[in-house]
Amino acid sequence: MMEEAKKMDLADIRKLLKELLIESLSLEDIAPADIADDEILFGEGLGLDSLDAVEIVVLLQRNFGLEVKDMKEGKEIFYSIDTLSKYVYENTRDHP
Amino acid sequence: MKAVISGIGAISAAGLNLQENLFSMKNGKRNAGPVSLFSTDLTYPVFEVKNFSEKTEMEGMRTFCLAVAAAKEALKDADLLPPLSGFKAGVCLGTTVASQLNDIDFYSAFRKYGKADLKPVERFLLGNLSKALAYLLKANGPSVTVVNACSSGTDAIGIGLSWLRTGICDMVIAGGADELNRVPLCGFGSLGILSKLLCAPFDKDRTGLNLGEGAGILILESEESYIKRGGKPLLYLSGYGTAADSYHLTAPHPEGKGLESAIKSALSDSCVSPMDICFVNAHGTGTNENDKVESTVLSRIFGENIRYFSTKGYTGHTLGGAGGIEAVFTAASLKYGWIPASAGFLSKGDEIPLSPVLLNTSINGSFALSTSLAFGGNNAAIVIEKV
Amino acid sequence: MFISGIGIIFTRGRGIDCFENALTQGWIDPSWTDSFPAYRVTKETLSDTNLSKKIRRADKFSKMAALSAFDAYKDSGMTLNNNDEKLGIILSTAFGPHTTTFSFIDDILDYGDANVSPTKFSNSVHNAAASYISTMLDSRGPTITLADFSYPFQNALLLADSWLKEKRCNHVLCGCVDELSTVMEYACKIKLKAAEDGKIRPFMFSDFPVSVLGEGSVFFMLSEKRCKNNYAEVAEISFSWELKKNPDIIIIDADGMAGDETGYKNYSNKGLPITGYSPVFGSMMIGSAFNFAAACLIFKNQLVYRCPVSDNSSSVNSYFLTKEANVNEINCIRICGSEKISIINIKK
Repeated sequence: MMEEAKKMDLADIRKLLKELLIESLSLEDIAPADIADDEILFGEGLGLDSLDAVEIVVLLQRNFGLEVKDMKEGKEIFYSIDTLSKYVYENTRDHP
Repeated sequence: MKAVISGIGAISAAGLNLQENLFSMKNGKRNAGPVSLFSTDLTYPVFEVKNFSEKTEMEGMRTFCLAVAAAKEALKDADLLPPLSGFKAGVCLGTTVASQLNDIDFYSAFRKYGKADLKPVERFLLGNLSKALAYLLKANGPSVTVVNACSSGTDAIGIGLSWLRTGICDMVIAGGADELNRVPLCGFGSLGILSKLLCAPFDKDRTGLNLGEGAGILILESEESYIKRGGKPLLYLSGYGTAADSYHLTAPHPEGKGLESAIKSALSDSCVSPMDICFVNAHGTGTNENDKVESTVLSRIFGENIRYFSTKGYTGHTLGGAGGIEAVFTAASLKYGWIPASAGFLSKGDEIPLSPVLLNTSINGSFALSTSLAFGGNNAAIVIEKV
Repeated sequence: MFISGIGIIFTRGRGIDCFENALTQGWIDPSWTDSFPAYRVTKETLSDTNLSKKIRRADKFSKMAALSAFDAYKDSGMTLNNNDEKLGIILSTAFGPHTTTFSFIDDILDYGDANVSPTKFSNSVHNAAASYISTMLDSRGPTITLADFSYPFQNALLLADSWLKEKRCNHVLCGCVDELSTVMEYACKIKLKAAEDGKIRPFMFSDFPVSVLGEGSVFFMLSEKRCKNNYAEVAEISFSWELKKNPDIIIIDADGMAGDETGYKNYSNKGLPITGYSPVFGSMMIGSAFNFAAACLIFKNQLVYRCPVSDNSSSVNSYFLTKEANVNEINCIRICGSEKISIINIKK
């Protein structure tokens, strides 16, 4: 997965993240297409909570090898699918 | 009706018996270190019980051994010698680890080969904490293990009180025990609430909790039965309250509604008002959320002059053992007339309305409260009285 | 205390009506995996679109508990106040959510100590199920989870009775839950004797009886006062060999799960009618709760359900046909190995 992620463009990452969120967070009644790219994931938006946040940390580590160490930083990254996928995209590129 | 506390015993990283624990607290000793009981890649500091020699016939029952050590001390303190078959004696202990078959080697072998040596299963079946202790002490009354996560010990003591009130028992061995185990260590790590530093309950720079291990046991007796065998009551368990947050699986209610209900229920169960409470032995784990909520609720109920502290800076968070150990410390504080400095606390931030006690402090009061907040939104509180 | 509502999940479905049908229908063949029989609860039984949002993270163990607790509440016809502080919840189990515990250990083995799922860990804690129940019902009352291998249901009832007597609660949702897992099935294959024909035989009175593992959950709404919906009254929970006078029926928990069952013979010798319904739901340490539910139905319908397996090699006085009867008192008996025994005395 980690090697594949390097080759993905933003749209692919968005799609993959939606699928991963639904599976890891047991959002059974929701389809990937139901989650808007700019929808707020926590609280009022999709309704995720603090336990989902730590589950997303694990999801990012397992699937993309990314470590979110500071939950304050996490708050900004986890704002929406847009911010999350941007974070994944930027941090999985091979930097020269 | 209140119950006599006729004996107390405790074991933790702070000491192998109550006096050693009190000595560590009096002198600010914090015996934390890296994990030595099992191998793990996690580097959080933990509070392990060292130089511990209690053994059982079957190896690997550490939680039970901790409970036995504390129970022996409490029974001696109560001037009791097993067998307890002459009493209507019940056993009610809380735990988390001893209720789970979390033997990693066993499961690893099973999933690899489809079969495994069943010794860990035997150990699990024989190791129901309350049943095993009841068997050892020949206590013939009811025995049941409370698995209410981190409030298990306090809830177990509360159930003991209910049994005495309804006359099912005239004596209850109550409290809690837990060993340090890799499974919950990984679990708490994944929740992001373990601190890489020594825990600092209620401090503005707190970064999480440290896991610990240990046991705390109270001998509860009906006043009638205790006096009949020649005892002069000094300490009482006067009431218990418990309430659910009805909010979230892992986070406490942001306004501490359940905790407030539990404390008020414990006070009314004891027929005392907040003004009667001399000090509060708080749950105080050192996590951001717990300490914020707890301090807020304590200030709301008791006002700004209440003295409170957490002893988790000395013992670590002993999960199912915490309620038992802290009940013992609360009783001991009333008995000996002093409370310890809240270890790890330096200064409070804006979200903590009250500072815990900074120094060992003399007290002279009759009633004290001990609180527990648990995973799953459980809250429990007990009131202890000194006559 | 009075029984004012029942919710149940077992191999044949969900709800007290479903259980009643099963009692009328009698024995059916369990499901077989590698020639090992078990009464499993299917995924379909646990699908509930209305409630699943409130318990989206719940694992099978918690779902079984939450749905049956909710049904017991519904069955009682009560309407709770928001944040009710007078409704207690007591959940008792022998083995807890161990499938999730093993799944969490899978994470440790597969991904390492620092890369495990916090949701799995949360669900592996014994009191997760009770937490889902209190959140689902918006209850702020006392909520406790107990673990016991010998008398999980009896100890829960005893505590509920204490809470009601102390006036700590007006009502208590009290129940049991246990689940199957591959590890449990493996251990039972070695330690127990599986019934080769899939039939538990409550009247074998053997020192090494046969079993067919089951899973499920039952909850009861227990009330201090008699409610509009009332099944029966629990008069006493005792741990002694003595029967309460002469009950109309004795229900025994014999299911091959708790070792030596020869002790039950003492009661069959008295000539009183004996029955036991474990062949309907399977062998479980919490089987007493299911037999207790059957007793409630016997009172409510004044109908004695036939013993599901008609093997009567011990010539006991039992019911082999379902028939109407005037039932005023039942004793539910559980013997756990050589340990003490328990009797729940229930009255109309």
